[in-house]
Amino acid sequence: MRVFFFFLIFYMPYCLNAQDNLFSLLSKDNSPFYVSYLFKGTKIVNGQSVELQAKDILQFNIQHRFGPLNSGAYNLYGLDFSQVRLSLEYGLNDWLSVGVGRSSSTKVIDANSKFRLKRQIVNGFPVTIVINSVICLKQIPSSNLLNSNSDGVYDNLSYTHQILFARKITRNLSLQFTPTFIHYNFVEIKNNDRFSLGFGGRQKLTRRISLNTEFFYQLNEIINKNVLSIGFDIETGGHVFQLHLSNSPHMIDTDFITNTTGNFLKGDIFFGFNISRVFTLK
Amino acid sequence: MNKILLILLLISTQIQAQIFLGNSGNISFFSETPIENITAVNDNVSAVFDASNNDLVFQLNISDFIFPNALMQEHFNENYLESDKYPNSTFSGTVTNLDNDNATVEGKLTIHGITNKITANGSFVNNGDFISIAANLSVKLDDYNIKIPTIVMYKIAENIKVHIDIKLKINK
Repeated sequence: MRVFFFFLIFYMPYCLNAQDNLFSLLSKDNSPFYVSYLFKGTKIVNGQSVELQAKDILQFNIQHRFGPLNSGAYNLYGLDFSQVRLSLEYGLNDWLSVGVGRSSSTKVIDANSKFRLKRQIVNGFPVTIVINSVICLKQIPSSNLLNSNSDGVYDNLSYTHQILFARKITRNLSLQFTPTFIHYNFVEIKNNDRFSLGFGGRQKLTRRISLNTEFFYQLNEIINKNVLSIGFDIETGGHVFQLHLSNSPHMIDTDFITNTTGNFLKGDIFFGFNISRVFTLK
Repeated sequence: MNKILLILLLISTQIQAQIFLGNSGNISFFSETPIENITAVNDNVSAVFDASNNDLVFQLNISDFIFPNALMQEHFNENYLESDKYPNSTFSGTVTNLDNDNATVEGKLTIHGITNKITANGSFVNNGDFISIAANLSVKLDDYNIKIPTIVMYKIAENIKVHIDIKLKINK
């Protein structure tokens, strides 16, 4: 009997749940579990999201914006006007991506870099933090450049700096807070420095469709309106189609944040869509 | 009485010394269709083999699978395997038929939160200090409730070929 008792003591651990015990022998993986895919794209609507272009991936974007919906049937509710921004985005690293683009109607060439400082961790660091910096050059006709008394190219530069804080609240909902500072080298009226607070969100409606909203609140600018944008991301396997409505016709940070005059509630709403294609460069 | 106790103690410690561990195994999978071939590799597979009763377990993190295309990797994690909900995949089973470095393994495979009984054949080479395991198996996506939308149905195979390659070292 006693032999049997000792037998139980020493052999029970090996007989019962032997395979579960083996799992406990696996070395504990202490590396942090990063939260990924807070947003579908690198932009929420017009503004940047905390997502960076993946390493070695080059994305070519064709962005369209039409005229205001309240421009009447004669202009087919804005569809007669259209402007385009062509851009390239490239992931240099997992934490650094760069982009260049040009907007047709405002004739602005822009270049930006996004740098990821921190990532949200499951049961750890609460937010993903990204710094976005943009430099914009507004082109003017070369004849004007020769005649004017301005400092030439230098006067047509503007800069945007943003810190993006985002958190994936649930698997479907992500929110972002984006304090923004914009500096113009030359302005005709008002101040050269503008401050705005951006708020953005993504709510997945289905596994492949999400509703995105974005709001930029102006801190020190009276003429310029606050910017409200609503968009849908529709994923179809290899592509993401983005459809948006916004009270700004512009597509680059400096322009849409500080040069928006449209009033959303009065029907100054611009419809737009983006098409993108990715190439893997290795 | 004391002698029996001593013998039992010795035997039990001996059993503990027959554990083999591996932490950087390799599991890759292939989806082959006429339109597109997709490959992904996971180099962080861990496994334990208990030589006293031939029990074998595997474990991996779904998000450790690396794809050549970042968009595929995103879809794999976000839409198909839902790695935020089901972060890992496990296998627990027993080596049932071992002869001449060939083995049959039977057990339960858990992917995407769903467990199925599987049987796989492969090579199982034990040289005392190290065990090398290599096997191929086929995983049917439908068995694990992994839904592929009609729009990409012709690009993703119904049965995914999985290749396992891992080296275990005796745990002293």
